[in-house]
Amino acid sequence: MDTILERIATAVENGKINKNIPPRIMPGEPGTDELTRQALENGISADDILTNGLILGMERIGVKFKVNKVFVPQVLMSAKAMAMGMRHLKAKFSESGGMKSPGTFIIGTVEGDLHDIGKNLVTMMVEGNGYKVIDLGVDVKADRFVDALRENPGAFVGMSALLTTTMPHMETVNRMLKEVDPNVKTFVGGAPVTADFAKQIKADYYTDGPQELVEILNSLTAC
Amino acid sequence: MYGLPEQFSEPHHREWYGYKLEELTCQDLLQASVGWSTGYYLKSENYTDEWGVEWKVDPYETPYGVGHYTNIARNPLRNDDAKAMAFKAPDPHRPEIYDNVRRLVREYGDEYYIIGRIHCTIFESAWALRGLDTLMTDFYCDPDLTNHILDETYGYHKECAMHLARIGVDMIWLGDDMGAQDAMLIDPDLWREFFKGRMAEIIRSVKEIKPDIKVAYHSDGCIYDIIPDLIEIGLDVLNPIQTECMSPEILADKYGDKLCFFGGMAVQSTLPMGTHEDIENEYKRLSGSLGRNSGWICAPTHHVQLDTPMDNFFHMLKTIGCEYVEPVMAEGKP
Repeated sequence: MDTILERIATAVENGKINKNIPPRIMPGEPGTDELTRQALENGISADDILTNGLILGMERIGVKFKVNKVFVPQVLMSAKAMAMGMRHLKAKFSESGGMKSPGTFIIGTVEGDLHDIGKNLVTMMVEGNGYKVIDLGVDVKADRFVDALRENPGAFVGMSALLTTTMPHMETVNRMLKEVDPNVKTFVGGAPVTADFAKQIKADYYTDGPQELVEILNSLTAC
Repeated sequence: MYGLPEQFSEPHHREWYGYKLEELTCQDLLQASVGWSTGYYLKSENYTDEWGVEWKVDPYETPYGVGHYTNIARNPLRNDDAKAMAFKAPDPHRPEIYDNVRRLVREYGDEYYIIGRIHCTIFESAWALRGLDTLMTDFYCDPDLTNHILDETYGYHKECAMHLARIGVDMIWLGDDMGAQDAMLIDPDLWREFFKGRMAEIIRSVKEIKPDIKVAYHSDGCIYDIIPDLIEIGLDVLNPIQTECMSPEILADKYGDKLCFFGGMAVQSTLPMGTHEDIENEYKRLSGSLGRNSGWICAPTHHVQLDTPMDNFFHMLKTIGCEYVEPVMAEGKP
């Protein structure tokens, strides 16, 4: 029998929210709802459940997504399962004075662009790996990225665009962010965006998926 | 210019604008749309379409001027399962929604190849109603609700397709974006469960009415995984072949004897960002791959947007072999 933390990780990986939802995945088995509660009742710390259960599950789905073994809907299901587990942990974290976070990530879709499925995936995956995420939403003007960085010194910043007509805004945002903090690490992504484009506008990183971005964040925060 | 309204460049959805632009740019195929996707570019101010989807008009600016997109502002069935289960599509049998197609076939059918377009056939119209993120989890969380919404969008558009076949179009152009940049948007098995059978039934129905009709399918992005399935259910033409997402050489090698390819001239890279030489090289590459067995309808991979320099657009026409003729000015107006 797997440990309860391993079962939580498996539930997140498979997007199993509770015993009944979704009906066709791991039918009849408990999801993160039941398992997280049970783990807390067993006296396992919220930190331990988060790191060795929920986050572990998100890492696994992220890796599978990176190699196209799973697709967007499965990642969304995993994020839902993780969020359900987090609901039970949040009360514990507020008792113990907050959860530890390796860093803050500001993200938004640039001005004129309303596409957010890619941005939301990144948000879920970064959050799912324990970071604090400030999601500025869609159609975000340059000033709002800058304000968010001023309010959160030391944060990382990610910009998303799906349109060739809106991705040039990334250059302006990147320049303004670097004026506020020359050491800020910036990320760009989205269907038409390429590594060459990132280089050209002097953004620090281009990634073509959320998992790679998480891995870069992990390496930046590890040192 | 060209008889088109000033702001909205997507012709023939509800209004008849004529086909001046298409004639002047030497096009061989003319098209008109029916179905939910005619809600795109419908009005110049925010509006709600007949399915209840709320739209807003968003301008964008490039060095070449101000363009507009119409974007979905609100999905009417989001966060309301009861409303979603009770949803009914509009009536697909209203004769007036086929007026433009009928006129197109009548006035241009002898000289041109006529396409009846029904984009957003099943998936995209459902995602407009329910929201993409919600619909994507509905597949797993509530298959009954998913099937109900998909039956409504599919049912409506199947009837549309059958009407178009009876009117006598040469090709039905279906479409649902199933590809992201380098992979499918959804699991191929999910596509097979929820979409393959429905698409197969539309294709079967139109071919039963008009056996020589051709069926095209549009999906942006990378959809390698389902191309064999599409061929199996009777697809003739694949669009738009984004070279940033799928290799024209691989497609030509694997499917060149079974499919005609439609598109290829890249609006995500070459047209907006390339040089004249890039455009020529792209045309050469596509002619030698997609066009190897004459099975290529040369076209941009999507609407050419305002980030493409006009000079590049005209160079594309020239490269293809079309000498564009400036429209004759009548009384100072084009």
